[in-house]
Amino acid sequence: MEKIMPSCWRSQTKPHLFCPGCGHGITLKQLGYAVDELKIQGKTTFGIDIGCSLLAWNFFDIDTIQTHHGRTTPVMVGYKMMKPKRVAIAYMGDGGGYAIGLQSLLHAAFRNDPITAILVNNSLYGMTGGQMAPTTRPGEVTVTSPDGKQAEFGDGLKGPELVRQIANKKAYIARASISKPIVLKNTLKKAIENQIKNNSFSFVEVVSICPTNWKMNAKQCFSRLSDMEDYYPLGEVLAQKEKNVE
Amino acid sequence: MLNKTKKINITLAGEGGQGIQTIAKILSEASINSGHEVAYMPVFGVEQRGTPSVAHITISNQKLRYPKFDIADYVVILQSRAVKAIDRYVSPNTKVVFDSSTISERDLPKTSVHLLGLPATKLAHEQFNPKSFNIIVLGALSNLLQIPEKITWDLVLKVLGKKFKNEEIKNINREALLFGRELVFEKSAFTKAIFKTKHRAIIFKGYNKTGQLFPGRCKGCGICITKCPVGALSFSDDLGLYATPIPKVDLEKCIGCGNCRNFCPDGSISIEKDTKISK
Repeated sequence: MEKIMPSCWRSQTKPHLFCPGCGHGITLKQLGYAVDELKIQGKTTFGIDIGCSLLAWNFFDIDTIQTHHGRTTPVMVGYKMMKPKRVAIAYMGDGGGYAIGLQSLLHAAFRNDPITAILVNNSLYGMTGGQMAPTTRPGEVTVTSPDGKQAEFGDGLKGPELVRQIANKKAYIARASISKPIVLKNTLKKAIENQIKNNSFSFVEVVSICPTNWKMNAKQCFSRLSDMEDYYPLGEVLAQKEKNVE
Repeated sequence: MLNKTKKINITLAGEGGQGIQTIAKILSEASINSGHEVAYMPVFGVEQRGTPSVAHITISNQKLRYPKFDIADYVVILQSRAVKAIDRYVSPNTKVVFDSSTISERDLPKTSVHLLGLPATKLAHEQFNPKSFNIIVLGALSNLLQIPEKITWDLVLKVLGKKFKNEEIKNINREALLFGRELVFEKSAFTKAIFKTKHRAIIFKGYNKTGQLFPGRCKGCGICITKCPVGALSFSDDLGLYATPIPKVDLEKCIGCGNCRNFCPDGSISIEKDTKISK
């Protein structure tokens, strides 16, 4: 019988601390399967941010660092400089990656630092109670935008496309969704392999759900997620020069 | 009741999502409306659900200068995982009210002597629906504190009124409140904790398939049921981690695609075909 949980999960700390139906659980499960298949459990270091993602502090049987808010990427970059043989994974939410920590992410991509950044986008700030985030789509109702997000606050931030503008050609930048778990696993695997083999930066945004703050059940959540997938197109984000050749 | 002691300290403990802060808010506002001085302090973490949620209430006839206290007169425990957060407020004189259908006696703080059992989860399952569990607790507590029924119901309407979308839900809650007010606490021979979550795996076999399900990890999000392509999964009557229903499997319909295993955020369900093993 196949394993019910990835073998790199720490079974003593389960049930974990996330809400029922949280997208973090699905993302971390596929990340666990990816780590299992690449057999890198012993040489991986996992960095987590503040926000809901910090609840993963005892999730894996992997060395874990808990960093300041938005500073997961630079901490993992520094760690990788000291220990180049280790695999560094930075894990954050959209608040930590796009709102407070965008400059760190952009500069890591600009310098082509050999780390893997994984960002989970649920379109609002989950831990503080569902406030408007940079990734909130126009017209979306949150606690701080009761009439829907106004035009003056801008569109939803498309992170991978933004990072692609200044990232190195070798960098692997993609967007995946939790509605397709096996595609998500393969994307994460590619991102980690890009760090190990090409020694360059990789960034994956995962479009996710938040049943607690969206105040929805599983079915409604996944129908809203498919709307989000239309706004945030899935797949690898290619460099612009390759497009111009066509 | 207040004439004797002049001051009552109450501590309510449970898990985020159970309605602890709502019960505390209604109780303290009801005490203000019946002419007392009240201090109410909520204590909970930044997590939205699943961690201990505690409320401290002080009711007095005189003006309150300081809201904190060391020893509570009443402690209400609705979830055994919250006991750690409040056991320092329990002394041998404290009266401990607990949900005897989900918490067994040996999980309670060791210093507790006066035990009052209240099988609210069991009664809610048998007579109303599982969601009305906290209204029954509120009814029992408002009766214990001698708050008039009319004041309590008015505040329930004020705080929860928006959630009563039709008359039927309103009537169920009204009946649950009245039912809770007439309950007599169990002083010994408590109800067995039958609604406690089972931690051992449930294994089901048949139709060349084997499945396993861990109720101790299942949070009842329903993603496996939504994502099953043939509709083989549905909610059962058994309860999981947060007293939410766990899924049951119709193995005849199941095609063994593994969607439930891939989607489950908690790692609690998996169904596989036996063909791999028989080879």
